[in-house]
Amino acid sequence: MKVVLDAVRCTGHGRCYSLAPAVFGEDDHGHCVLRLAEVPPEHQRAARIAVANCPEDALEINGE
Amino acid sequence: MPNPNLETRQVNLFTGDFAAEPQPVYRELVTKCPFARTALAGNPVLSRYEDVLWALRHPEIFSSEMEMHMALGTERPMIPQQIDPPLQTKFRKILDPRFSKKRMLEIAPDVRRHANELIDGFIGRGECEYDHEFAMPLPATAFLALMGLPQAELPRFLRIKDMIIRPQTLLQNPTLEAAQELRKDAGRQIYAFFGDVIDQRSKQPGTDMISYLLATEIEGHRLTREDILDVSFLLILAGLDTVTATLGCNMAYLAANPEQRRRIMENPASMAGAVEELLRWETPVMAVPRIVKQEVEVHGVKLKKGEMVTLLLGASNVDASEFESPEHVDFARERNKHLAFGGGPHRCLGSHLARMELDVAMQVWHERIPSYQIKPGETPRYSPGIREVQYLPLVWDRV
Repeated sequence: MKVVLDAVRCTGHGRCYSLAPAVFGEDDHGHCVLRLAEVPPEHQRAARIAVANCPEDALEINGE
Repeated sequence: MPNPNLETRQVNLFTGDFAAEPQPVYRELVTKCPFARTALAGNPVLSRYEDVLWALRHPEIFSSEMEMHMALGTERPMIPQQIDPPLQTKFRKILDPRFSKKRMLEIAPDVRRHANELIDGFIGRGECEYDHEFAMPLPATAFLALMGLPQAELPRFLRIKDMIIRPQTLLQNPTLEAAQELRKDAGRQIYAFFGDVIDQRSKQPGTDMISYLLATEIEGHRLTREDILDVSFLLILAGLDTVTATLGCNMAYLAANPEQRRRIMENPASMAGAVEELLRWETPVMAVPRIVKQEVEVHGVKLKKGEMVTLLLGASNVDASEFESPEHVDFARERNKHLAFGGGPHRCLGSHLARMELDVAMQVWHERIPSYQIKPGETPRYSPGIREVQYLPLVWDRV
């Protein structure tokens, strides 16, 4: 499983790196950065929840 | 043509009764009247999640650039709230790092200590008036520290902030003219105060916000004195009011819903989810204004350039097309894309500060005073506009 970030849509709500800190991080502006290219099974549930909570729809799950 | 299946109606968003329990009105608007008009000025009100989010994401249509009738005692637009991209984006680039989540977590221990000190002051009494004794001083103190301003100025700032945000509560005879005079007076005081701070920090820079703004450049240019005043004006208004309002809304809810409070006590890890869900359900900043910048049609109605539109964030947060069982306040809600902090380019600059303060304040309170209720015979009082619970008497068993 992969997550895809549309950095243009991200405005820094920070829901992703709060809900799945192993998968998502923050840059100096508080915008999302991907920590893992491939999400390992133990973090997939958290990643899915994080993606579903992005108010800007800037994240997608890919490759399932 | 307006859709004949939808009702048109007027809503008065500026009453205490509406602020106390807005959700039933929201439900009506979202389901039956997604295009309403304000009772006073007849301005359009959008309430559906899809519409509100669309408007928030399109500043080229729904602008934040204020006109004089929106002035909150200001002489110029507040930055970055009342300016549009691309200039707004440049200011956010320099401001966002100062309000990032990691930076806010660094000051969490100070907020925790202060929350405990405030509770020490009244826990033995078995009661407090939550707004004045906890919800106001806690975020205001943290904010003054972030700004590098003396704590002794707190009472003065709180008064100035109320003169601007809710002048009607301070006036014997609250006419529009009197309210606007009070706002202008407060605005002059804010400009004068920060003018002095800018002069002082120019000579003796520190690590505070004003010193940072004095040393920061946008595309090779230092900010002007007016830029710094216009950022400071916004920070002081937003920083002193919104978390206070949110804490009050949350505690009034939990005091009235003991079964929900027990969920937090049984599982303290659910606090983060509780904070998010209460932001959704309560949405203390009920609405944000926008100005139509290019003609656009919404629900069959043509909006003209210059019309003021109210985006009802609170209503969008109870829209069943986005939220499963929106009337159910569920601290374990898995999908919660609420718009309590807005969205799009103007997403609340202080949202990470707010979340940290809410988390810490609610944790500390429930560690110290797990069981409490609204004082019997009393009713909390909500202010319109931003839903501050201006009177929230709580009681608990003395230990």
